[in-house]
Amino acid sequence: MRLSRFLNYLLAFLFALWVVLPIYLLAVLALSERSAVFAYPKPLYPQPLSVETLWRFLEVPGVVKALGNSVLVAGLTMLLSLLLGAPAGYALARYRFRGADFFRILVIFTRAFPLAILAVPLAVHFIRMGLYDTPLGVALVHTALALPFAVLVTYSLFVSIPKELEEAAWTLGCTKTQAFFRVVLPLTLPGLAAVGIFAFIISWNEVFAATILTLRERTLTALLLNLLHDSPLPFRFAGGFFLVLPALLLIFLVRRRLLTLWGVASR
Amino acid sequence: MAGIHLEGIEKSFGRVKALKGVSLEVAEGELVVLLGPSGCGKTTLLRIVAGLEWPDKGRVFLGKREVTFLPPRSRGLAMVFQNYAVFPHLTVFENIAFGLRMRRLPETVIREKVRWAAELLRIEELLSRYPAQLSGGQRQRVAVARALAVEPQVLLMDEPLSNLDAILRLDLRAELKSLVKALGMTTLYVTHDQVEAMGLADRIAVMREGEIVQFAPPLDVYRRPAHTFVAGFVGHPPMNLLRVSPEDARVHLALDLPVSKEVIVGIRPEDLEPAPKGDPGAFSARVRVVEPLGSHQLVTLEALGTTLKAIWPPEPSLDPGEEVWARVHAERMRLFDPATGRAL
Repeated sequence: MRLSRFLNYLLAFLFALWVVLPIYLLAVLALSERSAVFAYPKPLYPQPLSVETLWRFLEVPGVVKALGNSVLVAGLTMLLSLLLGAPAGYALARYRFRGADFFRILVIFTRAFPLAILAVPLAVHFIRMGLYDTPLGVALVHTALALPFAVLVTYSLFVSIPKELEEAAWTLGCTKTQAFFRVVLPLTLPGLAAVGIFAFIISWNEVFAATILTLRERTLTALLLNLLHDSPLPFRFAGGFFLVLPALLLIFLVRRRLLTLWGVASR
Repeated sequence: MAGIHLEGIEKSFGRVKALKGVSLEVAEGELVVLLGPSGCGKTTLLRIVAGLEWPDKGRVFLGKREVTFLPPRSRGLAMVFQNYAVFPHLTVFENIAFGLRMRRLPETVIREKVRWAAELLRIEELLSRYPAQLSGGQRQRVAVARALAVEPQVLLMDEPLSNLDAILRLDLRAELKSLVKALGMTTLYVTHDQVEAMGLADRIAVMREGEIVQFAPPLDVYRRPAHTFVAGFVGHPPMNLLRVSPEDARVHLALDLPVSKEVIVGIRPEDLEPAPKGDPGAFSARVRVVEPLGSHQLVTLEALGTTLKAIWPPEPSLDPGEEVWARVHAERMRLFDPATGRAL
């Protein structure tokens, strides 16, 4: 009994180490002076603490703009995924309509076509439509990537809210829209926030579509992919750090909210 | 306050006919219980009154106003659900205030009405709590207070007590009845529990397979069931139903049948009285099972070629296998047509 407990903890520790260690090294070297990258043995903590590496990274032409583009694209993706995904999830959860099951499978199927196959026709279409090399164009593709997740997760969020809560609201004077915003939305907000953040991260990390569909309006991932081979080590560490940072921060932020959803605990 | 008037309500779900032309009249201030087994359409009927479903055919009136296709919010009613449906993200106060806020009443009025409703349900000290901190019984009190706070024309209740444990259910049942009666609230109440229906209702509408089989005051439903289905569904244990020929009826039950064919005779277990041996009009029976229940004993008898349940005084105690005599007063017997199941 004790031993198995110990083994569990050991295993969990090793897993955590496996994930945390590279991120930690990345952070240490990104927050050290540029010379630390070449030191041996590597320092275990930034010494001295310095933003020189990060600063120099941001001074590279195009980086700040790419960072801005990444934030814009990811923000748009988050917004679009929620605006399109949540109503679809709600419809699946609340209404029995012809082809509902088929629709659910179809949603997953959108992930069955590799982006590599779609990329060229997509680029051609985007050029025709004037979406090529725009943040909106990239955001649309990223939304397509994030949508299946958004639809299915919001579906399960809405399904977990008893229909009677809405019906009670209707009998107490709400229109269907009012009932949604006064009852369903507050109860699903933490979950919806998590969906949005996940969409944000999917977009932030996506590199293939962003590379194919942009030329000057690069996102950070697309820019880094282009520059990585010819850039000095400190640049790579700083770049890696910037890529990991938002995902880490956001997940850390919603972690508590994800676990303490009032609605889930109180039903 | 308003009455409810239903006219030829029909409703199908796919190929299943849930309601087959139901008409019902609930008077102002009356408490009517829709009683029936699951799947009889009672909840569907309630939801049609609420506006949560629309009928395929027929019309719904609240008072003089036709509301058949109005949304629930425009009907001036309130509903209490089986699973309470209190809003988990709002305090008890805000739950009760919900309907009042939707009407944009001034804050002082809202406070006053919430306090009034909370006092009625004796939950004043819970107003600042969240539903997660309440027991099932307290949550249902909140739900009832929330419904009463809006002072509805009509109160609808869908099995409001069936998620509660037995003792709590008894308490709240009595309380609900006195509350609804004191307020003179027109109430339509759905349950599958015949004891609950008997205890609460001014009139019971017994439903089966999308139709109302009998609509009458509780004691009428109990004493004069209109159908063998009602006889078997209401009462615990249910009415004994035995098929007898005119001759058997005359010989064993001292009963002259009004028709010259076989009938079904319904006898309540408490109407099957012990009788002295050889008493004219009495018949002999063999005791199969004896269940002493304290205030009375439930005796399973074998007689007239069938099994009968009888409720007898606890004394004298009986033994299985013993021969006893029993009789029934003719006016306590209920006759049914074996072909249709309807009362003769």
